[in-house]
Amino acid sequence: MAQLVGVFEDPGKVAEVVGHLRGRGFEDLETYSPAPFAEVDDAVLEKPSRVRIFTLIGGLLGVVAGYAMTIWMANDWQIMLGGKPYSSIPPYTIIAFELTILFGGLLTALGLFIVGRLPRFTRDAAYSARFSAEDFGVAVRCAERDVAEVDGLMRAHGAVEVNLVAG
Amino acid sequence: MTPPPAASVAAMIRPAPIPDDSKINQDILYVMKGTSPGYWLLLSIALTFVGIGAAVWLWQIYEGLGIAGYIHPVFWGVYIVTFVFWIGIAHAGTLISAILYLFRAKWRNAINRSAEAMTVFAVMTAGLFLGIHVGRIWKAYFILPYPNQRGLWVNFKSPLLWDTVAVSTYATISIVFLYVGLIPDLAIARDRHSGWRRVLYGILALGWQGTSRNWKSHTRSVLHLSGLATPLVLSVHSVVSWDFAMTLVPGWHSTIFGPYFVAGAIFSGFAMVLTLMIPVRRIYGLENYITDYHLDNMARFLLFTSIIVGYAYVFEYFIAWYSGVEHEQTSFWMRTFGAYWVSTWIMIVCNAILPQLLWFKRLRTNVPFLFVLSVLINIGMWFERYVIIVEGLSTEHDPSAWGVYTVSWPEIGILAGSFAFFVTLFLIFLKLFPIIAIAEIKELAIHAKLHPEGGH
Repeated sequence: MAQLVGVFEDPGKVAEVVGHLRGRGFEDLETYSPAPFAEVDDAVLEKPSRVRIFTLIGGLLGVVAGYAMTIWMANDWQIMLGGKPYSSIPPYTIIAFELTILFGGLLTALGLFIVGRLPRFTRDAAYSARFSAEDFGVAVRCAERDVAEVDGLMRAHGAVEVNLVAG
Repeated sequence: MTPPPAASVAAMIRPAPIPDDSKINQDILYVMKGTSPGYWLLLSIALTFVGIGAAVWLWQIYEGLGIAGYIHPVFWGVYIVTFVFWIGIAHAGTLISAILYLFRAKWRNAINRSAEAMTVFAVMTAGLFLGIHVGRIWKAYFILPYPNQRGLWVNFKSPLLWDTVAVSTYATISIVFLYVGLIPDLAIARDRHSGWRRVLYGILALGWQGTSRNWKSHTRSVLHLSGLATPLVLSVHSVVSWDFAMTLVPGWHSTIFGPYFVAGAIFSGFAMVLTLMIPVRRIYGLENYITDYHLDNMARFLLFTSIIVGYAYVFEYFIAWYSGVEHEQTSFWMRTFGAYWVSTWIMIVCNAILPQLLWFKRLRTNVPFLFVLSVLINIGMWFERYVIIVEGLSTEHDPSAWGVYTVSWPEIGILAGSFAFFVTLFLIFLKLFPIIAIAEIKELAIHAKLHPEGGH
């Protein structure tokens, strides 16, 4: 197997070339972008990020935890305050609301780490500091015999340069 | 640490460019490089005042709250005033990051990082005042619902508990928001530094490479965090306002307090962003990133929120009169013409009258004017809280129980220390982390480079 990295300047071109490569059956590919561009990210991964499931679970956990904690605590140590019931929903809604956001936010961050595969302890061989400047990278793994085709395809779609990466 | 000689500073701050590096990276990372004598001077002044504030606090812990200016019936003084002030300052960050993000207001990119950092530091500063105000700091944890041998639980029907939960949620979410936004920029910094900085940014960047998987989950997380933080930012200062509005104190017991406090918080927060970023932009040559257009937009926000705050001021008086409740009327009369008339007029002039000058476009883009005005607004907003809290307590229902509180020197020492604490954190942040969200600026720059004729 060989790995080729094409360097691009236009995110639109990156999305195009990824589409073509995948159409030709090169599925083992990765892009590197200096900034978020939906067209690039959607070309590689069609489905919406699963982070949303984490947010939902966090939010639901928070609202349940908020009501459960306040109601249980008020009933575990009962003090009559202003003639109000021990399980007073209106004031506890504030706690439930805040915990919804707290748990939702924390699980969203957890979702970022899990779905985004972070932390990562090594850098890809194809990664370069120029991809945190203003260049885009498309890394493709292919058989030795396909190198010329991939190289040609990337250059045809406006690759500034195409390099062969070891490994 | 002694500052390096000027010649070596000059050599440090303009290194040979990394081949293929972008100008945006260089311009913004430049802020983090080298430290001038002026920086060390400012930092040492700030640290001195932090020291003074800490010493006064220690003295107060030893002596007791008696050294504060409390006098019957006013037992909420400068500490609570300053707590509310800093919580208010913290609101611009989330407004800019979350609400303007959801509205796709692209101009926020220039200022969102500094505003988010400011938010975190302002909440940290505000957090100090909870400890300072309770006096017996060693019992401060009583506010938390922790399991204990006495089987006691906290009272969640109390607005003070709502406040604790709201503010600690706000602090946590602000830190998460700041950090999540920083990750791509930390990777940029990691790729361009060596030595301890490379190690630090390497660890914090979590091996970010800008892959499609990275970005896709990142943009989704930022969207969701914005969605969560938007109601949060509106709730936090509403909850803070309920600390007052839920009581029966004349001048406090008002349904207008929620929106009134939130608007005031955003107003003061924007003013603080201007106070901090105008000097930073000038010193580090960031005029290309924080342009007159951004200042103009911030000035419009100031004007807008100033009008809301001014409207609330007027309506407080109207409702006091219209209610026909004598206590309420007296409280507002005393506010304007009683012992605290100076504070009240400072608040009205700085918050409601002077910002009206921003109707003029020439003044909205006049940088020195904006800087002076933003400082005045900060002062005015501190006095707003002072007037509401202290005046409210000093003239409650029974005239025989009235009393006049004056600020004591220890309180001023701790107040100054809190500003110094905030400035210290900001100065350290300036040298450690990118002060402008590089990746977000790049998103716009790459669009603009490829489509020079149109759009953004």
